[in-house]
Amino acid sequence: MAFLIDCPNCGRRNPYEFKFGGECKRAPDEGADMRAWCDYLFLHDNMPGFQDEWWFHALGCKDWIKVRRNIATHEIRAIEETSP
Amino acid sequence: MAKMQKPLQFKQPQKSYDVVIVGGGLHGLAAAYYLARYHGIKRIAVLERRYIGSGGSGRNTEMVRANKRAHETLPFYKESLEMWDGLSSELEWNLMVQKKGLIALAHSDPELAAMRMLSDSQRRAGIKIEMLNPKELKKLVPALDVSDRPALPIFGAQFHPEGGTVHHDAAVWGYAKACARYGVDICVGVEVTGFNIDAGKVTGVQTSAGHIAAGKVHVAVGGYSSEIGRMIGMKFPVTTIVMQVMTTDIMAPFLDYYVASPRLHFYTQQTLKGDLILGGPLDHFQSWGSYTTWEESADRAVKIVEYFPDLAHVRIVRTWSGICDCTGDSAPVMGGCGIDGLSLDIAWGYYGFKAVPASGKYSAEYIATGKMPEKIRHFGLDRFYNRRLVREIIL
Repeated sequence: MAFLIDCPNCGRRNPYEFKFGGECKRAPDEGADMRAWCDYLFLHDNMPGFQDEWWFHALGCKDWIKVRRNIATHEIRAIEETSP
Repeated sequence: MAKMQKPLQFKQPQKSYDVVIVGGGLHGLAAAYYLARYHGIKRIAVLERRYIGSGGSGRNTEMVRANKRAHETLPFYKESLEMWDGLSSELEWNLMVQKKGLIALAHSDPELAAMRMLSDSQRRAGIKIEMLNPKELKKLVPALDVSDRPALPIFGAQFHPEGGTVHHDAAVWGYAKACARYGVDICVGVEVTGFNIDAGKVTGVQTSAGHIAAGKVHVAVGGYSSEIGRMIGMKFPVTTIVMQVMTTDIMAPFLDYYVASPRLHFYTQQTLKGDLILGGPLDHFQSWGSYTTWEESADRAVKIVEYFPDLAHVRIVRTWSGICDCTGDSAPVMGGCGIDGLSLDIAWGYYGFKAVPASGKYSAEYIATGKMPEKIRHFGLDRFYNRRLVREIIL
């Protein structure tokens, strides 16, 4: 499997240097009921196609980055830095 | 004496069935078998889009055991482990069940203490568990390095004598042949593309072989449950992750037990053929692929050589991988999903193989009676909403 993650700080790096943070999801609005929060927490799209997801560069810059990756083919479309 | 059996024949699906089971892996075939044999349901079809046992059923590490953690799940896994014993004669097919014993290593005092607690809860559920010190361990596994040399030396171990292995392909064919004997239609090359849901009740499935009407539909699709979820407009609490397995050169028999290290997350056994099966953690990221990575292979090689130094020159010669649907709490999702007549047996992730007989039995009971059996009561989808997650661990 050949895929590298182009970290904005460190360059092209092996995905095993990163910690995977899961799908980017939108949190429920303030005042949402418990069921909406449970959905947000536990349910996943888990679609074999492109998804936005979080990666933490644990063995590098220690920065969370947002990656748009096809989880079936591992093609990466976009990477953005997310630090405040 | 077993009778001469007719060869297994796959069927073309008919226009309507009492129960349609989506997924021709072990869980689906087992559910079909128990439904046909013990619940007297005559018209059952198992729909498989590729070939039977093509998913996780043929891609696991053949380990069966009951040394789990959560008290909700222990009786279930215990029953499943016991069911494997009589299954070869019941199915009239040799599943090569070998209760060789499972050894779980501890690499520190706190870990050993945690393992004792785990052992106690397992004993309370009636599962046979013993603790071993390094000296006893060396007697059972002479090739194991119990000295101080490894970076994480062995402090002790938990011995689970009833754990062992079952040949996974034999299990697939055993269940499939038994299903066929009881009149189940096993249809391969038939892909389910949609569900017919009428006023909250499932009435059939759309397939590549046309529409099939069904009174009840059971979903046992291994690593592909999210795709089913999209067909019925639901999300499931699963992420799909790849698990990789490697096997080594064939060697003379030297390892009589399954050896696992929960801390280092690797496990190995020597098959009857003589090669070692090297299992390990799931990949650390979500993925629908099928591949083997250098990192995982190297990781397993390092760990096995650390504790079995004699294996330093053995090669990894064969690999396979499969996808697992994992929930956050390492427990499956069984039972209903809010649509009448549609039942689930999904999200088995990392631990589906050992659970096959019991999950088949209880899925069948659920399909036939519509009532959630006591032993799988905790596996329902509702647990994610009423704060009843199962406190399970992954290894």
